[in-house]
Amino acid sequence: MITPVHMEVVFVGIVVALAILMATRPELTRVRGGKILAFLTLFILPVVAVALGYSEHMERATSTQFCLSCHVMNDFGRSLYVDDPSYIPAKHFQNNLVPRDHACYTCHTDYTMFGTVHAKFRGLRHIYVQYFGKVPQPAEIKLYSPFNNRECLHCHAGMRAFEEEPKHSKAPDTMSRINSNQLSCTSSHCHDTVHDVGTLSSATFWKGGQ
Amino acid sequence: MQNTTQAPLVEHRLRWAGFLIALGLIVQLTTFIWIHPLAFIAFAVVGCPLTAAGILLFLYSLVSRESPQAGRAHNITAS
Repeated sequence: MITPVHMEVVFVGIVVALAILMATRPELTRVRGGKILAFLTLFILPVVAVALGYSEHMERATSTQFCLSCHVMNDFGRSLYVDDPSYIPAKHFQNNLVPRDHACYTCHTDYTMFGTVHAKFRGLRHIYVQYFGKVPQPAEIKLYSPFNNRECLHCHAGMRAFEEEPKHSKAPDTMSRINSNQLSCTSSHCHDTVHDVGTLSSATFWKGGQ
Repeated sequence: MQNTTQAPLVEHRLRWAGFLIALGLIVQLTTFIWIHPLAFIAFAVVGCPLTAAGILLFLYSLVSRESPQAGRAHNITAS
């Protein structure tokens, strides 16, 4: 099946061939047609090719495979298969409540390159630490800031089962505190079992969905 | 017998522009092989700057004017 990536590779390959042609035969520009070809080959088409490449790389960066490509993230990937619905990421992943091939990005939309400039620099630092620094144990890895309810609410807000859940309406202001991020979804006694990679050694795993 | 052919400076720059753009795009193609943060870094830190340098060199060749001294400097002498 021909995918957009295949078409992009073919396009970039054609631009490379044309650029090599201009590099080896610059005298082509002595005629009008050659000048037009040079303008396309050395300006318009490379700009389009780089824009497509950037778009492709950003799309890939949202994939689960990208996030789990660093060894230190393996346990976070394993936690998605824990056979226990109290593990919130596992419950969402196993029941297709988040797209499996973009599972991490769905709940961490402001992480590293998708966040602020500060977050982008943190992403660069992660790569530096991965190859030149002391990589922490998976259980030691924490979020830089408390998990934002926004990540939950972009799916759950307005959902009937969510709003009518007794725990969410046990106090009159509970829903408003959730919506304003004053009461975290991952608070103690709420949905406080998240990845918990420190407990994976004693966990059982779902074998399906592979 | 001596035959002197002048290779205009603008063509010299076009040659380098084409070479840089081709190299940058080849790096970009190579980064498509892996889905990994390093592939993105290679694209952003190596591929993009090479391509950008080629494009800028091409644009510079359009707006710059060749001086007679510069033209003589690029004479190719064949005997």
